Amino acid sequence: MSAEGRHARRLTDRGTDSSTDGNEPRPDDGREDAEYERFLRPYAVDVGTAEAVPPTTAGTTGPADLDLLALVMAARTPGRHEWLRPERETILNHALRARTVAELAAEVGLPVGQVRVMVAEMVADGSLQRCGPSRPLGRQDILHAVLVGLRSL
Amino acid sequence: MASADSENRPGTQEAIPQAVKIIVAGGFGAGKTTMVASVSEITPLSTEEVMTEASQGVDDLGGVENKTTTTVALDFGRITINDDIVLYLFGTPGQDRFWFMWDELVEGALGAVVLADTRRLDTCFHAVDFFERRGVPFVVAVNRFEGAAVYETEEVREALDVSAGVPVVMADARERESSKEVLVALVTHIIDSRRPAMSG
Repeated sequence: MSAEGRHARRLTDRGTDSSTDGNEPRPDDGREDAEYERFLRPYAVDVGTAEAVPPTTAGTTGPADLDLLALVMAARTPGRHEWLRPERETILNHALRARTVAELAAEVGLPVGQVRVMVAEMVADGSLQRCGPSRPLGRQDILHAVLVGLRSL
Repeated sequence: MASADSENRPGTQEAIPQAVKIIVAGGFGAGKTTMVASVSEITPLSTEEVMTEASQGVDDLGGVENKTTTTVALDFGRITINDDIVLYLFGTPGQDRFWFMWDELVEGALGAVVLADTRRLDTCFHAVDFFERRGVPFVVAVNRFEGAAVYETEEVREALDVSAGVPVVMADARERESSKEVLVALVTHIIDSRRPAMSG
């Protein structure tokens, strides 16, 4: 079994409305049945596209700049005017305090990749702001503080 | 307008802590999630990364049908160290085929714990190798499974062929105290290993 050769599921098509009748998606020869135990729920979330976010220039944020621990915080109050895209309001509600991208993804229940794109867009449109620690510490200070903190758990 | 919502304007008043992370790695079923859960202050959070890869060796001219997706679960826990620091513990995806995610996970990490299962010691070879090659400081924690033969740490060290400088500790991933000790051993190791390198 090669590392790349097996995949949980092959996505057959994007617009299957009419084509599914005559051409049902099915596993290739049933060979990989064991690997089909998991279905991928189709997403209907408008996350925009990575390309829609301008390439990173000074002061802007693209999805690639948002690592799992990138911190963002709501820059506006969640409102109702995004009712076609409720995920954004959910993100805002969870980001009233500074939150990492990983936490937002877990709380919103969407894959990190999608949340990254949404967050990048929301930073671009001013809904979210990226933020850094209030008191940035050097690595050595962090290590010592972590050690003390862990010991006192 | 600005003054109207300034009262409940989100999140301007609180201090923002620095987010740091430690990676908990090891083979499939070695107890990574158990360890994260035992020390985390919250029920571990889980998120997914959906990877879309173009089929190997095929030029992607056709769109989605030439791509396959894989969903990787990512579990993590959190420990608030103090007002300034929040520590996140990330468990690595166990299966070998998700190696491509490790680079991002490890980026910026303080260090890593390699959980070893003595019944299947070979399942953590990859993790040891990965951290050694990238110069990421790590400790090996031998997770005690019931029914598994008991080994001395030195036997495990020898079997894994890790250098003498890498701590090998016994652990019970289910026990908060034990998991905490592993993390303390790791951070102590990171601090110590940074010092002599200079004077050496």
